[in-house]
Amino acid sequence: MAGAAATGLSDADFTRFCEYFYKRTGIHFTSAKRYFVDKRIDTCIRNSPYDTFGSWFAALRTSDQGPMLQELINQLTVNETYFLREDYQFDAMLTTVLPNVLAARGGISRIAGPVKILSLPCSTGEEPYSIALRLLEEWDQIDHVDVEIHGADIDSDVLAKAAHASYGERSVQRVPKAWLNKYFVAVGAGRYQVDEGIRSAVTLHKVNICDTAAMRSFRDFDIVFCRNVLIYFDELSSRRAAENLYGAMRPGGYLFLGHSESMSRISPIFTPTRLPEGLVYQRPTGAK
Amino acid sequence: MGLVRKQAPREPEEVLPEPPDTGTLLGQLDDPDPDCRREAALGLVEAAEAVPELLARVGTEKDPRVLESILTTLAARDTEEVAGGLAVHLASDEAVLRTAVAAALATMPRSVPALLPDLLAAPDHDVRVMTAMVLADLPHPEAHDWLVKMICEDPHPNVVTGAIDALLPSATAEDAQLLRDAVERFPDDPFLRFTVNTALPRLTGTA
Repeated sequence: MAGAAATGLSDADFTRFCEYFYKRTGIHFTSAKRYFVDKRIDTCIRNSPYDTFGSWFAALRTSDQGPMLQELINQLTVNETYFLREDYQFDAMLTTVLPNVLAARGGISRIAGPVKILSLPCSTGEEPYSIALRLLEEWDQIDHVDVEIHGADIDSDVLAKAAHASYGERSVQRVPKAWLNKYFVAVGAGRYQVDEGIRSAVTLHKVNICDTAAMRSFRDFDIVFCRNVLIYFDELSSRRAAENLYGAMRPGGYLFLGHSESMSRISPIFTPTRLPEGLVYQRPTGAK
Repeated sequence: MGLVRKQAPREPEEVLPEPPDTGTLLGQLDDPDPDCRREAALGLVEAAEAVPELLARVGTEKDPRVLESILTTLAARDTEEVAGGLAVHLASDEAVLRTAVAAALATMPRSVPALLPDLLAAPDHDVRVMTAMVLADLPHPEAHDWLVKMICEDPHPNVVTGAIDALLPSATAEDAQLLRDAVERFPDDPFLRFTVNTALPRLTGTA
């Protein structure tokens, strides 16, 4: 059988599975990802009481939103990241975006409420903690403004890791030594845990970016980092994700995408803005 | 001032708000606040009974961002009813509307093919130009063939040029003769000639 995997997944099974997963998450897998998907399904089946794809898939569809689906999502979402990744965008946040946000909100003396920053997907936490580090170390207004940092992801396993905030050397290799000493605790075997002060400054949420109802809880964010996730969606899911991000942002708020992603190909609802550090997207100020 | 720190334990919070019911969302489509209308339209994605109401709003909604959200919700259904209801706006005099509708139709590969016989034969050549735009992005294995058919058969040079534009991102050296033939069919159309002459060196490897 062409394309058959250890799971015994036929091409028709693969198509049926991909349609199901797309409907539940908005994430679209093509046949180019066949090997990756087969391996992850194989892991899920081995972790379950079922021994064939057919029985496992039937149970999955019956339980639907239950633990089986969550395990599958955890297996099929990509979570590799590290501290201070693509940090030219953090440079942009510090030098251009935050001053603009403060000015748009009336200046430091008149700003009402905290500046809100969202990292979605936050994966295992490197991105929201990187934001916290850069703000504390490099933003001269941090003592004059309240800043809320939120991280969100669809994957409950990575969120648990983000909450624990313990990382290997590879993950923290770009963190300056002085910051490592100041904000991390060595916990043995080349691992470093973000200290309690920083961990308590990041609020974590489990949410599907394509779920409009769930995303209604996210409001008034001044800055959103949504990097390297829209590339996994088809056009329709990307449009919905863009709409949901728009709803989560304050008018005039800034959206950072991954360097290979372009909102222009997804939706016209954001305004592209060229900053010295690169392209960012804004929710128009004319819109409420 | 500084980073706002949580006092409570830091377990991840699952966000499960109670969604508004369909009746409430349909009512909100009339709200004077465009943001409320936009969110209502997005919230109706699971409500099949809302399709006629949403389709009716496509031609009347004046806020482009609300229109986008309506189209995002409608396109998710990908049925012939929705596609047919959207396709009528390809003839709109409003550029924003017809372009937004074309982009939405381009995400509906299940239902758009059934409309193509009528769209490709539309008496208004501007509708056929918009159809080429739809086919440019439609994720369907026959999209290339339909564009080739337009290039070979359509009697209007603007339509043929639009179809060539749509074909070019996926065109190969095998399509070169097709483009040369199009120039021969419309020898007096400078824009079509320019489009083909610009594209040919890349296709044939002579750039």
